Amino acid sequence: MKKKITVFCMYFLMVFTVIISVFPILWVIMSSFKTNAQILGNPFTLPTSISFEPYIYLFEKYDFLRYAVNSFLVCITSTLLSLLFFAMGAYVIGKYRFPGKSLIFALFTITLLVPSHSKAQPIFSLIMKINLYDNIWGLAVVYLSMGLAMSVFILKSTFMSIPSSLDEAARLEGAGFLRVFFQINLPLAKGGLATAGILMFLNNWNEFFYASLLTSSNKNRTLPVALQFFTESFSYDYTKLFAALTLVVLPGIILYALAQEQVQASVAATGVKG
Amino acid sequence: MKAGKSNSTVLERRNYKWCYLFLLPSLLIFLLFYLSPILTVIATSFTKWDGFNKPVFIGLKNYIDLFHSKTFLISLKNLLAWSVIAATLHVGFGVLMAFVLYAKPKGWKFTRVIFMVPNVISAAAWAMIYKFIFNDDMGILNNLIRRFSPDFHVQWFFQSPYAFWAVTCTWIFYAVIVTLVVLNDLMAVPEEVVEAARVDGASPWQLTRHIMLPLCRNAIGTGVICSITSRIAMYEQIRLTTAGGPGDDTMNIPLILVNSISDMKYGYANANGMVMFVLGLIILAAVNITFRMNDSIY
Repeated sequence: MKKKITVFCMYFLMVFTVIISVFPILWVIMSSFKTNAQILGNPFTLPTSISFEPYIYLFEKYDFLRYAVNSFLVCITSTLLSLLFFAMGAYVIGKYRFPGKSLIFALFTITLLVPSHSKAQPIFSLIMKINLYDNIWGLAVVYLSMGLAMSVFILKSTFMSIPSSLDEAARLEGAGFLRVFFQINLPLAKGGLATAGILMFLNNWNEFFYASLLTSSNKNRTLPVALQFFTESFSYDYTKLFAALTLVVLPGIILYALAQEQVQASVAATGVKG
Repeated sequence: MKAGKSNSTVLERRNYKWCYLFLLPSLLIFLLFYLSPILTVIATSFTKWDGFNKPVFIGLKNYIDLFHSKTFLISLKNLLAWSVIAATLHVGFGVLMAFVLYAKPKGWKFTRVIFMVPNVISAAAWAMIYKFIFNDDMGILNNLIRRFSPDFHVQWFFQSPYAFWAVTCTWIFYAVIVTLVVLNDLMAVPEEVVEAARVDGASPWQLTRHIMLPLCRNAIGTGVICSITSRIAMYEQIRLTTAGGPGDDTMNIPLILVNSISDMKYGYANANGMVMFVLGLIILAAVNITFRMNDSIY
């Protein structure tokens, strides 16, 4: 009897978790296919017909494409560049001995303790000073710096797990430092690079605080920031609002669906928000 | 070749140049976006500064003003309440789910995958979704309540005292980070430990309470730290729902910080940044001591 109750509670908790996690999103997607009257009339009914008209409207009559392109450009450039930079750093920290190594690694790790919001003013002023305020590349520069500690962490252990005998062999064949890195180590670190890259991309894609602080004009908004202004422009056109929300949310979910194992494993290992 | 009396080999020394070269980009990022901002925050939090003129040293005035400002005091009170909720209910639910998943009931993998979804989409979008769920006209919640009590109307995000709880609802159950970190530790518990306890006649409850729970205290501690630090940094969930209102009911330090930047009160903004930073360190130290996280477990 007692066992039955435990089992029941377990399933209850699991069903509860699944519902609170996906139902809000399903509701949003479903509502984007309903008319305004249907949404206001009864929030629970299924849509009567499937129409992509609000989606087409967002792309054709509204700057949605521009926001999506902005988001994508900022995220992909900053993620790829920082991945290369942090991989280079993590590689030498993980595989070589040189004076100051532990100090540098300790400094990188300590950055985890600094809430990124608390540095808002100096970063805001820095971006102003280099004339990149209200410019998506200013945002890209800031995103470049995020995820330093986490990525170096993940990548350092990846590089350490690649046997040094491979490097030795390559060196005996006459390969220089750069070739050992780019042709031997980097290809073998694919797993770690994917994990760190996906986490950084997701974080950048979803970032709102700096995106809203560092941009002001319509043409430089990223998707999360644009969301804030949708509410004003479509104040009572809920169908379009829900369609916009769907479009903002879906890419992250798709990326997660494709790389779900990596995301989960790295979150479990680092305890850092994915 | 000179056999090395020193610890480093010739090859290693020849590589130093490359090592530092490879570290250069990361070091530059560290200097520009971590070290120098932190030093600026610390130094200018003791000044009056508008960003154009030179900062003027005013001692502790920013901090004194801060602790006399009603908005800041409400933010601290909110933060305290949210931290307590995060450390108890939020982390509690996360740990509970970790134990449920650890028992590997049918569908546990699916649940684990799905539980992560709210965390991979933007907090801004999630805040908007909750704004709609709690909307009085077409929100799910009020429509559900109106089935039973037709005249029910509450603007959850815009009415005191509900706004505080509405903001809390946007994160309270989404504890997947805690669940994953704890589950990771649970899975690492050696088979022999569990076996030995069973042989000694421990009931499943005793096993959980006296063996498994203490064994994953590091993970729980990490969970508490993560969830409280995210409360300190909580911004989107407030900015996009209540914007700190009604009155100052749902204010939080990052909102004050951003408002001070827009008002060109940079010194004051950085005093807020300092408070966030110091609070984070206090939480870290307190949790470390409470959970004895530095003692090894096995």
